Amino acid sequence: MSEPVMRSPLHSFGLASQARQIDDSCGVWANEIPYLGYISLRGDGRDQTFVTAASNALGVPLPLQSCTLSSSNDLKVLWLSPDEWMIVAAPGQANALRSCLQQALAGVRSQVVDNSGGYTKIFLGGSKALDVLRHVSVYDFESLQPNRVVGTTFGKSSAYVFRQGDGYRLIVRRSFADYIWRYLARAATPYGFGIANAAPG
Amino acid sequence: MFVFFCPHCGENREEEEFGYGGEAFIPRPSAPETLDDDAWGDYLFMRKNPKGWHWEMWSHNTGCRKFFVVKRNTATNAIAGSWTLSDGRKAYDAEGGAT
Ligand SMILES: [Zn+2]
Repeated sequence: MSEPVMRSPLHSFGLASQARQIDDSCGVWANEIPYLGYISLRGDGRDQTFVTAASNALGVPLPLQSCTLSSSNDLKVLWLSPDEWMIVAAPGQANALRSCLQQALAGVRSQVVDNSGGYTKIFLGGSKALDVLRHVSVYDFESLQPNRVVGTTFGKSSAYVFRQGDGYRLIVRRSFADYIWRYLARAATPYGFGIANAAPG
Repeated sequence: MFVFFCPHCGENREEEEFGYGGEAFIPRPSAPETLDDDAWGDYLFMRKNPKGWHWEMWSHNTGCRKFFVVKRNTATNAIAGSWTLSDGRKAYDAEGGAT
């Protein structure tokens, strides 16, 4: 038997070989940011013991205000609901982070699950990125402030979206990743759709 | 097209993000095995179906994925407000388990 190989959900699109430097030739640029670590953290946001233990283990405060996120150099912590957070970590860090959280939360009513195979991240940028989001979703992305994260509808699926630097980041379920990628690509076609080189974070 | 205020997300959101959860605050019988078929059928299937104000649940499917309570007028589609399940229960009881 051969060793199992981790393949990104958008592997079949061959994005890496099409990637090029962002320039003015396209209005919309995107790429997958694959192989990140995704940890699902459940617990009661009103339980001070849980919040303190989780925040200490993460090294950043657990965001308690709805639809906000906190971040450090190594990770992002996304508020998903009053009792659920998603932690996005650098490639290869999920396992250590999971056991660190589990140790910190031992005896506290909580749940920590490594969901790294279940999600992927998409970079969306370019001068027409906002127009594409308007086509494919119902949320008013123009009003989306930095340090806020929104879960909303994308066609028949959904995504978590936040602003970062020059563009947007979408976190999508593995099983819907190719649907959402095609959906974005189709909406972006009139503006010119380019595969971006080395999508930042 | 409705716009609902999600009490968990703290924002107004488009109807496409939500799913309908049916009439709110239907008490589950405490001992279902003691009910006859009519009483169990009433619990499962019979609804108030009012013309006017209706307390109902909605689920924020693509957002926080929580259920919450909306008071909606079925004749005009006016929305009186939305609450978490526990806060909504208090408002509902304050109206005397309203119509
Ligand atoms: Zn919500």
